[in-house]
Amino acid sequence: MTPDQEAFLAKKKEKAAARRQKPEEKGELGMTSLMDIVSIIVVYLLKSYASDPVVINPTAGQKIPLSTADAPMQDGIPIFVTLRGITFDDKKIVSMTPEGDIDPNSVNQHLIGPLYDALAEQVDKAKTLGENTGKPWAGRAIIVGDQELKFSALVDVMYTAGRAEFTDYSFCIIRKG
Amino acid sequence: MARKKFEEEDVQANLLPVMNIMFLLIPALLLAMEFASMASINVSPPKFSSAPSEPKPDDEKKEKPLNLKVFVMEDGYRVSADGQQEGAEAGKAADSKAPTIPLAKAGAPLNDWDRYDYKALEASAAKYKSLFPNETIVTISAEAKIPMQAMIYTMDALAGNSCKIGKALKGEKVPDDCYFWQPIVEGGAG
Repeated sequence: MTPDQEAFLAKKKEKAAARRQKPEEKGELGMTSLMDIVSIIVVYLLKSYASDPVVINPTAGQKIPLSTADAPMQDGIPIFVTLRGITFDDKKIVSMTPEGDIDPNSVNQHLIGPLYDALAEQVDKAKTLGENTGKPWAGRAIIVGDQELKFSALVDVMYTAGRAEFTDYSFCIIRKG
Repeated sequence: MARKKFEEEDVQANLLPVMNIMFLLIPALLLAMEFASMASINVSPPKFSSAPSEPKPDDEKKEKPLNLKVFVMEDGYRVSADGQQEGAEAGKAADSKAPTIPLAKAGAPLNDWDRYDYKALEASAAKYKSLFPNETIVTISAEAKIPMQAMIYTMDALAGNSCKIGKALKGEKVPDDCYFWQPIVEGGAG
């Protein structure tokens, strides 16, 4: 080993020893920029959440009809009508036949019995709440249907809602384009 | 007396708990958010009787009502105004054999959304609107098997595909390209 090489190794060892003796520095994460980004995201999400009076979460496999209509969604009680069944208040109330008709055992003269019972109960609750808060009950049913839902089933749902004292109806659609 | 020297300490706020809450809020809000832009079509309830509704006492319209009705049948549209079907045989109020607007794609299955001639229906609505500019109501009925999407496209065509009624519902003037944007759904066409 040449003297130069020896000197180089000795210097290297010295440096390594100095590094070992040096106390560890405490690393800190710069949080300010991250906070800025996260705050902006949260404000944006809160704004988009607050702008819609009703949030519709379609049931699995449901294809909501498309339309060019642009009327905003108004406050109301959603009724989900799919090719599998009718869901209200997160409970499946009525089943559909494989042909896409409402289970004949549940329908009598266009009136869907189990749906009527559930709607009437909800109407009573909404009316009581309205009386207590001084805010009149809107009586609006939002029908969240399926693209392939038969007209006969749609009319039966509307008729049943009408019997349960709903006076206004809206079809939920997805804006085209 | 010697004064003590105060050194300003660099105080940093502990942002970690705030960050924790923020990061929990993001997925919660994302789950509640709508990814597709939802809107609604306001419809009037179905009528099961053919009796006309009683006129309201504050109804000051002196113009004879158009009473526009559109029936969505499996073979096309039947359009009638004031009880007379357009295109019906002479002397007949309605013609069950001949549709006013035949299918755009004859023989196509019911779930083919281009089955109906929406352009021809929109043109027909524009024609009626020019004759009755104050009318906004149309009664729509359909055969039992007609899918909801075909009904919605029919409503769009009758309202006018370029009709933007959202602002009018907030009190602004109804745009001129909106024809019949107040549909009444009637049961029992077939």
